Formats: sequence, C-alpha cells, structure tokens
Amino acid sequence: MREVAVLGVGQSTFGKMPEISAAELGRDAVLAAVKDAGISPRDIQVAYSSRLYDAVITSQDVLKEVGVTSIEMINVENACAGGSTAVRGVWKEIASGHYDLGIAIGVESMTTSPIARKLIPPQKDDIEGQLGLTMPALFGLLARRQMAECGATPEDFAQVSVKNHHHGCLNPYAQYKKEFTVEEILNSRMICDPITLLQCCPNTDGAAAVVLCSMDIARKHTTNPVKIAASALLSAGYSWKRKDITSSPLGVETARRAYEMAGCGPEDIDLVELHDAFSTEEILRYEDLGLCKPGEGVAFLRSGAPALGGKVPVNPSGGLLSLGHPLSASGVRVVAEVTTHLRGQAGKRQVQGAKVGLAHMLGGFAVGLEAGACGIHILTR
Amino acid sequence: MAERVPIREGTFREGPDGGALLANKCKACGQIFFPKAKLCLACLHEELEEVPLSKKGTLYSYTIAHMPSSFFPPPHAMGYVDLPESVRVFAPLKIIEDKPFDVGMEMELVIEKLGEVDEKEIIGYVFKPV
Ligand SMILES: [Zn+2]
Repeated sequence: MREVAVLGVGQSTFGKMPEISAAELGRDAVLAAVKDAGISPRDIQVAYSSRLYDAVITSQDVLKEVGVTSIEMINVENACAGGSTAVRGVWKEIASGHYDLGIAIGVESMTTSPIARKLIPPQKDDIEGQLGLTMPALFGLLARRQMAECGATPEDFAQVSVKNHHHGCLNPYAQYKKEFTVEEILNSRMICDPITLLQCCPNTDGAAAVVLCSMDIARKHTTNPVKIAASALLSAGYSWKRKDITSSPLGVETARRAYEMAGCGPEDIDLVELHDAFSTEEILRYEDLGLCKPGEGVAFLRSGAPALGGKVPVNPSGGLLSLGHPLSASGVRVVAEVTTHLRGQAGKRQVQGAKVGLAHMLGGFAVGLEAGACGIHILTR
Repeated sequence: MAERVPIREGTFREGPDGGALLANKCKACGQIFFPKAKLCLACLHEELEEVPLSKKGTLYSYTIAHMPSSFFPPPHAMGYVDLPESVRVFAPLKIIEDKPFDVGMEMELVIEKLGEVDEKEIIGYVFKPV
C-alpha cells in the first residue's frame, strides 16, 4: 500500500439554494479543490462521487461542468456516510497504485430533493417508520437513555448546540452564524422530547470535494503534505445484539480499526469533526471515538474539552448543527475541514498546533440494524 | 363496515384475550426475532417456529413527538418496550393523563386501530402504561 496525501480541498456555499443544481454545487466544490491543489481539472484520473437523492451518474454530471470527461468515474451512496465512502474509494485507488491522483466529491441538493422540507421518510418495508419512528424520534429515545444512564440533562444537550453554533460563527461557510444561549436552545420548538428544534441539524444544500494523490506527487507541490493515516469504513451490526442503545458497537469498532491503522490512539487526536445530526448525538460519539471512557461523555462535555481551546476541540467548523447537513457532502466536508486545520489555514476557528485530526461520519437507518455505516479518516501532518 | 388490515401481516394476532405480538424463534439456537426473520440471523439455521410474545414488559425508553406521523397527530408518544423473552419492541405508546411515562415502568400491549388508509382500517400494536 502506498501513502496517500490530501492535495486540495474545497466546498461550495452551504445553504438553502433551490435555484442552484446539484451539478453546479459540485462544480463549485471541485473548482475550489482543484485550485487549492494547484492542479488542472484534467489532472484528475479517477473520481468517486456520493449523493443520495435523485442521484444518477453524479460524477459525470459534476465533472462535465469543469471539462473532465472520459475517465473512470464511480458513484456511491451510503446514507450520511456516503461522503466518507467516496473519500475511501479514492484513497483505495491511490493506495493500491491503480491511479496517482483522484477526486472525491460529495453533493446534496436537499431543497430540490423529494424530501425537501420533510423528514427522511421510512421505506415501505420499514414497520418502525410506519409506526412513527423518525431520526429525531430515534435520537429522542437515545437521549432518554443518556439521561437515565449517564446523568445527562437537557441543559447538557443544549450546551452541545451552544458550542457548535459558537464555532459556526467563526466559520465563513456556516449556514447559521448566530450565537445561542442554553435557554434559547431549550425554548425553541419541541421536536421529539427532549430534543428541540435548535438541537437538530438543518436541511441544507452543499457540496465538498477533496483531491487525493500519491505522496510522490504531493511532495512536488508541498514540503509538508497532509497524509491520510487511516481510512476505515464499516457497516452496522444487528440491533438485537445491543442491550444498551447508548453504546455503539459500530462506532467503537470503526474507530478501533482507524486507530490501529494510523498507529495512534484517541489521546493523540488534536481535533475531531463528527456527525452531530442532533446535539445529543455528539455526546455519544465522544465515547465511540474513545475521547473519553464509556458513560463519561457528559463529564467530557462539561469539562470544556470539546470546545475550541479545549483538549480536543470537536466540530470546530460548527458541525452539522450550524453548517447544515447536505447528507452526502458532509463526509467529504469533514475531511476538508480537518485538512484545513492541519495546514493552519482555518482562520478564527483554527485549532492551534493541530497535527493529527479525525474526520467521522455516520448514517443510515434500517429496522434491525444499529445504523447504516460509519466512516472514519485520520489525517496527520 | 370498513375492511380491517394489519399494518404488517404476521406481526400480531387479535383475539378475545387481547391478542399478542408474534415473533419467531430459531429451533437450533433459540434466538427470537421480532419482526419475524426468514432465517436465523444469529446462526443461519432455516427452521424457525412462531412464538407469541408476553403482553407485558418494561419501558426501556420513550419520546413524545411534536410533529405528525403516518397515523398519529401530535403530540404522540413512542418507545421501546423490553419483553421477558429478551425482545425489545419499538411501538407507539398511549398517552394516559395521570400515568406519565417513566423509564422502567410496566407497559401492556393493546392491539387496535391505528388509523384509516384508503377507507381501510389499519390495525396495529401499541403499548400503554399498566
Ligand atoms: Zn439460530
């Protein structure tokens, strides 16, 4: 296996932009990533794109807008982990020596998708969905157990949202740049008790892209490339094997594989970008990723460790809560965000001295399974 | 009278005793599945037998949703109920004024009409505080 570097990163504006097509969003992200990499779009040898809604030949659709045709293009879907899947696809192509340079693209136009302004609908054979189970309801059920087992309070959950919105105010890409207080978060409309509106990530349009290449090529562009030290992707196991729904065998095992591959542990991580679709969820993920011990996520939050300036800033970008969540784009966006920090180019939200960062994304729901898939990349410089 | 159809064929039976949820159990390893599995998802054995589940269990978790779902106007409750057979069932919950939900409380199965679709009565299962 060859070492793989992140050569360029880019993203489109994130927001509600029904007048802009998915191809245009993708184009903006690709042009930004290519420019950042200092290459021509025609240097791209292979592309992986991820998109969930109304998605057919997304790579072709996006890349034809930037003068790229007639190369190998692969289109993937893996719910919210689709973007991670695209990054891992390109990583494999380069690590294995099939290609020397490729691009991973994640794009979603939520406002023009069939689920615009709606919740993600249950599938036809999803009896739990037909009986009322939605993503916010699922996280409401999880939150109740976090309260029962770990002593979490509604104020703790709201604090995650306060933190991530604060981070988002420092990020020019954030859809919502607004500070909130715990009271404002708690007093927003109740969605699924105890989760209120300002603790749910908004539906958002957006795209992100990363250019990956072999270390040989990267060293021609920079003396200090950002390296992909680990790429891990795993599908979930059966939910009936789980006694305690606040622990995630999927997240724990994906993280274990990633740390093993990178040859490091959670104590070495300087920043984390993760799937905070709901404020309550972020606390669960601290534990999955081993940032703290099982059951100690609330204490970790209260210690200030995951805030900017803390021990391991989590979602310094503002996370899905303030950036919004263009589903398939988020998994690529977190890799771009971590890269930006490792280069020291993250401006006001910069995690000082970051050398090792972890980009996580998780998604999907099916009756009988814990989730869909979890993808983790560890980047180093 | 409107035609009565179950929300999912084979997930429960009705009856004068109040009915029951129907699971299936692997004849080789004993693992129980609800909803039923086609083959044992633990050991892959292909012979499973239908077993009715207990009508009473304990509330593992709950949430009250403040937006509509397919059958229920807001606010509506749902939760996980742990049954003695080591099966955790997701189900809508009946909100009863003087019995607020609490993790660990005893719950009881009710088979009833959930709503109407295309002039058919959709029958399903819910749990209510005992
Ligand atoms: Zn079996």
